[in-house]
Amino acid sequence: MSRLLSAVLAAVAAVLLLAATAALFGHSPLALLSILVRSSVGSRFAIEGTLLKSVPLLLTGLSVVIAFRAGVWNIGGEGQFIVGALAALAASRFGVVASLLAAMLAGAAWASIASAMRLWRNAPEVLTTILLNFTAIHLLGWSVNGPLRERAAQYPQTDLAAAALPPLASGIHSGVLLALAASVATWWMLYRTMEGLRLRATGFNPFAARWAGIRVGSQLARAMAISGAVAGLAGGIELLGVTHRLFERFAAGYGYSGIAVALLAQLHPLATIASAFFFGALVTGAGELQRTADISAGVATFGQAVVILLLIVFDHVRSTR
Amino acid sequence: MIHLAHVTKTFGATRAVDDVSLAIARGEIVALVGENGAGKTTLMRVAAGELAADAGTLAREGRAELVHQHFMLVNELTIAENLALTHPGFRFTTRRGIEREAEAAIAASGIELRGVARRVAELSVGERSKLELIKAIARRPATLILDEPTSVLTPAETEELFRVMRRLAGEGTAVVFISHKLPEVFAVAQRIVVMRNGRVVAESMAQDTNAQSLANAMVDRATAQPRDRATGRAGGEIVAIVGVAGNGQTELAARLRDEQPGAAHIPEDRTRDGIVAELTIAENLALRNARWRPREARAHAERMIARYSIRARGPLQRAGDLSGGNQQKVILARELERTRCHPERSEEASRPTRAPGPSLTLGMTPQIVAAEPTRGLDIEATRFVHEQLRAEAANGASILLITSDLDEAFALADAIQVIYRGRLSERLTPAEAAEQIGRLMAGVA
Repeated sequence: MSRLLSAVLAAVAAVLLLAATAALFGHSPLALLSILVRSSVGSRFAIEGTLLKSVPLLLTGLSVVIAFRAGVWNIGGEGQFIVGALAALAASRFGVVASLLAAMLAGAAWASIASAMRLWRNAPEVLTTILLNFTAIHLLGWSVNGPLRERAAQYPQTDLAAAALPPLASGIHSGVLLALAASVATWWMLYRTMEGLRLRATGFNPFAARWAGIRVGSQLARAMAISGAVAGLAGGIELLGVTHRLFERFAAGYGYSGIAVALLAQLHPLATIASAFFFGALVTGAGELQRTADISAGVATFGQAVVILLLIVFDHVRSTR
Repeated sequence: MIHLAHVTKTFGATRAVDDVSLAIARGEIVALVGENGAGKTTLMRVAAGELAADAGTLAREGRAELVHQHFMLVNELTIAENLALTHPGFRFTTRRGIEREAEAAIAASGIELRGVARRVAELSVGERSKLELIKAIARRPATLILDEPTSVLTPAETEELFRVMRRLAGEGTAVVFISHKLPEVFAVAQRIVVMRNGRVVAESMAQDTNAQSLANAMVDRATAQPRDRATGRAGGEIVAIVGVAGNGQTELAARLRDEQPGAAHIPEDRTRDGIVAELTIAENLALRNARWRPREARAHAERMIARYSIRARGPLQRAGDLSGGNQQKVILARELERTRCHPERSEEASRPTRAPGPSLTLGMTPQIVAAEPTRGLDIEATRFVHEQLRAEAANGASILLITSDLDEAFALADAIQVIYRGRLSERLTPAEAAEQIGRLMAGVA
């Protein structure tokens, strides 16, 4: 089974399973599917909504692609997303460009804490990045309730950022283009630069990489930093393009969803575009299900989980052929 | 025990096994010989039921166990735990329990392996291959297939293996022995089957044939005699480090890798340390480069495939799909071409090099460090590697050859040093070494 085929099958099967499960609870699967499709890609408005959800998913997906390709398990997209947004907010009065650069730097720095702990104490980054997520979530919670709370002091949220991404069309911000450019840039980095070749070699076989003169430790640290920068950029773009302010549930699981996005894309940066759009549509459609059919929007998470499980099964089938 | 009839197996466009019929009886030791890529391993994977044949039939009585050339062990687990993994079904047990079982299984196999609580990651390659063998024997197979089992064993360990093979055959097990080493084949096999290009090209009882005719059958032409020492070298030399596996060879190579980053390094364990299986040939060749230009790299890989006669479909083939000998050629092409492009290498590598032992130093600064460069290779590929090393020496390169194959050491080296418990002996001429080597390798002062 080719990689593309197994990805498409997993995506289709996830949607069908979702409908079938809903049927168990007395909903009509066809009606559900129709709502799902109509509300995510059925109109210009729906597509715009899907695109808005796809942008952060695409960027956190790319972040995971970079890390996993290098063999470093960065599960910390959520935390890097948050600190990226915090930095973007802080730097927003210097303009959009400075703000996004600050977001990338902050994401890279946050991720590098995990690298540093790996180098000094051999702490596994699966653990440290997850713990750093909680740290970032609480940092955000404290910030919006304390020092960064809006001047009106009415809600636990910050004031509006001083800069915003220019809109592309009605309802769509220019972050869409940035995210697409990031996909191409990631592809170029991985497949057209020595850095990318070394990164992939290290991910596939760190022993052989070391014998070929690659300094594996610093290679992994660089991959982690780049991965963190992209997740941080995702947070910055979400702030400057969509929410314009920060609040406690700002990250909304985008960092974790990036893992599903990257896996469905089989860790290919260009396929990540399609994968992010699919999950973006799923999230948008699930929101509509909640409004019209009284089904929890949590079904989107259910869909992600099913996709990952199916991919694992398909991978296994493929490898035992 | 096993009866294969008209078996064919193709991978893509390659016919790995082409209409082969072969029967192996109880209590028989059959040697399967042939060059890398001749189809020996594929045929035996079909025989063991690991691969389904595209055509032909397989009849098998009882279980067949294939001991792979590549290790199939869990590095993070201990010897005892790896053996316990082969136990079928569910059960409760204790650490002590599985260690007792492991010791019993090892004793029953007749193979010497101590310290069952050691993790596989800590074992030498020789010990790992013993563990693979014990694992296979513990499952009491009706047919035992060994793929290149001696390539990582010392002469004494090889003898031990042969004793085990003979005993198993005496007890009625059918034993298949895949090998390149004709003296070993004659030492242990009753019947010899030669494969070439996926077909069986010769088959006879061991007493009815000889090494020369087998070699001819394998390569389809008379193998060249080992040639005389090359003459007219300017400064180049080959120093061989020999010793029983596990005396610090691995550490020496790793240390030189870190201390002499400018030198060419051919690692001992090519599947783990040499090749990135998932990358293409072109990508593997470019790993040492300063820049990555896919088109240039492809053209370079095409040249290397021709120059090193790598049997590949093209530069974009996955390196992991190549046979062992061809993987080794890819490593050789990457490492040797690299030193060739950088004539200033001798300046870069001018510090004296310390050996792993506390007191002794290497008497040279190697520009090429080749560890077990021909392990598991067939005659043709071995000769090719030797030619390359000789040519490099003739060009003035100083080469450190770390090998457990004494024939190889004597065939190539200008000087020999013996490694024992991490210490190197004095530099010996080949003539001196021939006299003292047994004593030095055994550590008898």
